[in-house]
Amino acid sequence: MEIGQSARTTSGWLWISTAARLGLAAVWLVAGGLKVGDLAASGRAVNAYDLFPYEVAKVIGAAQPFLEIALGLLLLAGLAVRLSAGISAGLLVIFIAGIISAWARGLQIDCGCFSTGGELGAGQTPQYTWDLVRDAGFLLLAGILLWRPRTRYSIDGVLMGEQ
Amino acid sequence: MSGNRDKAKAKRVVQEQLARERRRRVTLWTSLGVVVLLVVVGLIGWGVAASQESDKTAGLTTPSVAVDEGTAFAVGTGPVKIDIYEDFICPACGQFEAGAASTIDQLVATDKVTVQYHPIAILDRASSTEYSTRAAAASAAAAQGGKFAEYHKVLFANQPAEGSAGLDDAKLIELGKSVGLTDAAFADAIDKGTYKAWATKVTDTAGARGVNSTPTVMVGGKALESPTAQALIAAVGAAGA
Repeated sequence: MEIGQSARTTSGWLWISTAARLGLAAVWLVAGGLKVGDLAASGRAVNAYDLFPYEVAKVIGAAQPFLEIALGLLLLAGLAVRLSAGISAGLLVIFIAGIISAWARGLQIDCGCFSTGGELGAGQTPQYTWDLVRDAGFLLLAGILLWRPRTRYSIDGVLMGEQ
Repeated sequence: MSGNRDKAKAKRVVQEQLARERRRRVTLWTSLGVVVLLVVVGLIGWGVAASQESDKTAGLTTPSVAVDEGTAFAVGTGPVKIDIYEDFICPACGQFEAGAASTIDQLVATDKVTVQYHPIAILDRASSTEYSTRAAAASAAAAQGGKFAEYHKVLFANQPAEGSAGLDDAKLIELGKSVGLTDAAFADAIDKGTYKAWATKVTDTAGARGVNSTPTVMVGGKALESPTAQALIAAVGAAGA
């Protein structure tokens, strides 16, 4: 009985983790894909946070979309899931801190999360609350994967000889 | 019997150990691989952006009439300095121009202000033809022909919508003719895209100055929180004109 229940729980988590993995993969692929077409604009979005010198912001803005797409592909394939989830969580914590800092300083910017961001025009209001709730949701997905990195249909599983 | 069971147990223990060993090895190598991959991918991003930038600023021709380190065109000669950063396709810039152009004209005419226009191109993706860059470059050609203020007005009067193809080069030349830019040099500069690299450079300079959105309007170096005609009059008044 006990063994049966524990096996069921494990199998349940396997599916929950698989869904979290694919969800987080989609988040990164979309976020990176929307920015990679205009790297200069991505740099300006980072610059709008007013946290780094312009030259540094440009480098961050250029590297970020590529990193996001790479993380998305890793999660999609299920390769080094725990590490990818850990790096995802780290990035999300940085993004959340950035948004809070922009909010606290009263900056009127688009977070540049799923666009090339920048300052907002007159009459537009920042959506900081929504941005933070959304990022917290993504962080939860990463947390699930950090805790239970084993998933279905993953390269990790194949390499470990589980499937 | 008991010997067999022990053997089976020992075998299982060994197998479990081997499996653990395998997991450890796989985790180590995939982790290392992923870290290297991410570093390389980040560097690729940096490299791609740097090469895009150097492509876009290759063959830079700075218009000789440009002021402010060659990044702006001045209108008027008054004591209070106004800096206006605009993108020719930006709807908010169009609204600002519609609401404040006559106020600015008056401030210029009464010799209260010098307006430095910085035509930047941050919305190239809002048109299918990079209208922002082409229009900024065309305004530089107009400035060389001595008609920046007039051309600037007519571009905003004919502002294309975001998401459209923008105005084509023929239309940009035609609008120039309508304000008296009839010489071949103007049409030639637009056909050849002479000042497109310059538009990219102006945009980059604006970014380095912390200008990330349009319209950004500064009076005496201080940005207006909400750029309107009233805010402009108040700020110019406060600056002592």
